[in-house]
Amino acid sequence: MSSKPKKQEYQATESEKISASVSKAEKDYFNQTYGPLLKEMRDISEKEELGGLARGRAQADTMQALTATPTLTATRGVDTAADLASAAAAQQIQGSGQALASQRERQIGVLGTARGQAAEAQAGLARAAKISSTKQLEEARAKQTIRQARSNALKQVGGALAEQGQKNLQSYPTGNQQADQPGFLGRLFTPYQDPRTQNTQADD
Amino acid sequence: MMSLARQFGGKTKLNTSNLPQVSDPEKAYADITREDYENYLKDFRGFEERLIAARDDTSLIDQAREDALKQSEIAGQIQQRNVERYGGAGLSMVQRQEQQRALQRGGQLNLAGGLNNALIQQREINQKTLADLINIGQGVNRSSLQGLGDASAMAANREAAYKNAKAQHSANMMGMGAGLASAAIIAFGI
Repeated sequence: MSSKPKKQEYQATESEKISASVSKAEKDYFNQTYGPLLKEMRDISEKEELGGLARGRAQADTMQALTATPTLTATRGVDTAADLASAAAAQQIQGSGQALASQRERQIGVLGTARGQAAEAQAGLARAAKISSTKQLEEARAKQTIRQARSNALKQVGGALAEQGQKNLQSYPTGNQQADQPGFLGRLFTPYQDPRTQNTQADD
Repeated sequence: MMSLARQFGGKTKLNTSNLPQVSDPEKAYADITREDYENYLKDFRGFEERLIAARDDTSLIDQAREDALKQSEIAGQIQQRNVERYGGAGLSMVQRQEQQRALQRGGQLNLAGGLNNALIQQREINQKTLADLINIGQGVNRSSLQGLGDASAMAANREAAYKNAKAQHSANMMGMGAGLASAAIIAFGI
């Protein structure tokens, strides 16, 4: 006949005890070490001023793009200031939006972790640093570029005209103006033609 | 107790001689579960409630109003400085007035356009927050149902085991009674 079951035969083995002890130690360590880290992350996600950073960066981008080199052409433009205001305001919204999105993602990550879910790796700062240019900034920048290019082209044409005009004027003989010579504008736009050469050419 | 001393970098000494004794793993597990939940309530419940409330956030829209006015002001000041820098920039009074009017018109357009953009962005962020919260909520719901399901299954198993044990006990008692009765009949020659 089989003997009565003994209590000690149903006790945990040494390996089970060690396993339970290690698990308890790990759990305590987790609570002491990682618990505060998650709380720190919670506080950061609520208090960190990502918005200020992103908005500052957005403003700097706008001002660097549109006001880094003040020009007379831009100053005389009727809508330059309005374009600048429009681009800057749009960039500010963009910066604020991206900062808020980053903050929310981080908060969701913290809550997810606290709720036992894996948190996504967040890169709020990296995102804030990559504020994409808004349409308004691009438009204002393009407008300014066109305006400047037009002004440069005008300057080039004017410069070439002045240079050629000066050459034309200098080509005329100095001294008393002859009766058959054209007026100032005529001399400016037409180089001097020696009448003798003209006559020879006519004879030929 | 097993002693496994390890040395890292000659500074930190870790060993397993001070491991906590766990005489009743079931109780330890129950205590940890309760403690975890209490910690969650203490440290994260408020945070969670604030995040849930943030799905109705309007901070971007509020900020957009201020931005439009502020940026018009800044642009006007820049314009003024540039005009002064170029000694009036050869602008007539009429041209200056037209610049002012253009800035004012732009300011109003900024306000309208900025508010619209902010509204869209705010809505997008709030909806994403809501979707993420719902995902987390689904996880919470799933794990709580699983916990309840496990507890319910264990309760049902225990109940069944109890009924089986009762039935077995009755059968044993009846068997024992029958055996005793049989022995009495044989012994007394009834």
